[in-house]
Amino acid sequence: MDKFLENLPTLVDEIKALKDIIITNIVLIGQTPAPTFKEKRRGIVFMERMAEFGVDEVTTDGYRNPIGIIRGTSPDKPPIFVVAHLDTFFDKDIVLNYTIKENTITGPGILDNSLGVGVLLSLPIIFKKLGMTFESDIVLAGTIQSIGKGNLRGVRHLLKTWTTPIRGSICIEGVDLGRLNYFSDGMIRGEISCSISEEKGAMHTYTPNAILILNEVINGIMRLSLPQRPRSRVVVGKISGGANHGKIAYDATLGFEIRSDSYKMVKSTYNDIKEIVDGIGHENEVDLNIKTISNLKAARLKFNHPLVKSTAAILKSLGIKPTSKSTESALSIFLSRNIPSVTLGITYGEYHYTNKATMEIEPMFKGIAQLIGVIKAIDGGVCDEQ
Amino acid sequence: MSNNWLEKNTFHYSDFKDLFHLVEEKQKKNLQISLCLPTLNEEKTIAKEIIIMKSELMTRYPLVDEIVVIDSGSTDNTVEIAKSFGADVYDANQILPHLEKFKGKGENLWKALYITKGDIIVYIDADIKNIHHRFAYGLIGPLLLYDQIKYAKAFYDRPISIGKNKIRPTGGGRVTELVIRPLFSLFFPELTQILQPLSGEYAGYREVLEKLPFPIGYGVETSMILDIYEKWGLDVIAQVDLDRRIHRNQDTKALGRMSFAILKTFINRQKRSGLIDLKNNLYDEIIQYNLVDSQYQPAVSKIIGLERPPMIEIPEYCEKFNIKN
Repeated sequence: MDKFLENLPTLVDEIKALKDIIITNIVLIGQTPAPTFKEKRRGIVFMERMAEFGVDEVTTDGYRNPIGIIRGTSPDKPPIFVVAHLDTFFDKDIVLNYTIKENTITGPGILDNSLGVGVLLSLPIIFKKLGMTFESDIVLAGTIQSIGKGNLRGVRHLLKTWTTPIRGSICIEGVDLGRLNYFSDGMIRGEISCSISEEKGAMHTYTPNAILILNEVINGIMRLSLPQRPRSRVVVGKISGGANHGKIAYDATLGFEIRSDSYKMVKSTYNDIKEIVDGIGHENEVDLNIKTISNLKAARLKFNHPLVKSTAAILKSLGIKPTSKSTESALSIFLSRNIPSVTLGITYGEYHYTNKATMEIEPMFKGIAQLIGVIKAIDGGVCDEQ
Repeated sequence: MSNNWLEKNTFHYSDFKDLFHLVEEKQKKNLQISLCLPTLNEEKTIAKEIIIMKSELMTRYPLVDEIVVIDSGSTDNTVEIAKSFGADVYDANQILPHLEKFKGKGENLWKALYITKGDIIVYIDADIKNIHHRFAYGLIGPLLLYDQIKYAKAFYDRPISIGKNKIRPTGGGRVTELVIRPLFSLFFPELTQILQPLSGEYAGYREVLEKLPFPIGYGVETSMILDIYEKWGLDVIAQVDLDRRIHRNQDTKALGRMSFAILKTFINRQKRSGLIDLKNNLYDEIIQYNLVDSQYQPAVSKIIGLERPPMIEIPEYCEKFNIKN
């Protein structure tokens, strides 16, 4: 392993020699629209490119997650999964026009996660050019329906139907280089909607205002006592409602997220919020409903897990400082199935969720080198020791 | 008029997606292929065009031998960016510098004949937002696989950009439908089978292109079709569906100036061939009106409609390519 780490920095320049192909993959995939639930076109481009790069098998699972498989040299070793989610936040009629400058690429969705998918697509040709082979099969999957209401359905399905053991996995996210995620909080994202009947002769003496009803709900949430341990919090992240300035709002919606180290705590907090909602709805005689949009169970590797230790060493050998936070990505689905996994970022960027989202090109080559380093480490057995 | 040509000479880019086969054919025929991108302030799109073409058609499949950018004096970073991504970049004014200098797309395309070395030259506009290597291989395909075809022209489904980031699914092609198609229908009905005669993407054999005069401005696409049709007939032309091209939507006044140049090119050609008899010369100015402070004021644009002679008539070219006239 030490010798491998010593040689890792030299990989960076070899990967850089393939800059044109890597950027082309990022742009071709990024300029193909893929809003959540409508990833079909991007999935087709993914499979076409995989086939062109000569992977041993290109297919989809029963849920239409596109997959490329590079066969390993040792049939008895379980496969290594490398995944990146295909879907983006942007509508399909948006011009996904990417602009390349000397050291940046700018365009909607590039950081989340066209860059990740473009790098995933480039791995087969990088392996080939670097003359790399692996004992394990390498399963390269672009997972659909990850974001928001997608609730990571793609990756959930992929793992549910993959019947044989998986050796380890890496989830690729565009940014930031240095992220080393190995745990995820428990989380529920929910939506509370208030609707007031507009019919004349409805039972109210004074028509209630949907926005003010939600305000009462927010006040109720703010009064909840959340513990320091397990670490827990509620974020009220979205609100919308009403028609115009001078009219009572008949409809309003509130989006929130509960997060905690403990999924039990998340569920308990959700139940508390549900009681607040039921009570306010009853007392005001309005249609007030709460529903879950997505949820995740808390899961983690320990910091001294060999995969985490090796990944941190790989990052350091490339001069990258590892930083760790909780993540709500595909990682949690792998971890919840006891598959050792980490999430890695590829480069640096800014304006994440806007049309001006911009990635830096130069650090990307280190990001890819760390990715190859971690695949090599898993193939070398760091996940087998547990 | 028969529709034979439309059926026989219309292709889809996917007919040529086997790039390995195209490379084999190119090598068998011992041909070189040049890709030319004419530019004027294209810093937002030029890098993407170069990098995708280079990756797919040079690094992965050696179909294209050189990418040449001919710039008309960009004031943004087009030249620096193009150089940094590995294209050969030329200032149009420095090519054949002893000749009188003109500015225009046609001028750049004409000068590209002198600068490039390929037996086939592919011209692609540098402002394509959804660039893909099919824009090049789709045009190269018929030239390599069908011996009688010497010139290939693109057509598209043309969504246009509206506002900053939205597209409208159909549209564009207004000059084609309002100017070119009526003209072709009146004079050369056979040519109406060319679905988008004004598309900015085409490829041809040098042996054909070097024998054509090039209008320096907008008329270059129309003149190429008319001249090739006159000299070699329609059967040497192919058209290829390149699927979708997202382009800038130009305002009506700009389209008016474009139409003026095209009409002038067309009429001058028919006058030369004796098909039209004009008592006077055509004027060189298009007059458009703008409402300024409740008054209509004329805006006059001079469009002379100059043409470069066939490149094969330029001595330096003949010397460079060892051509004896």
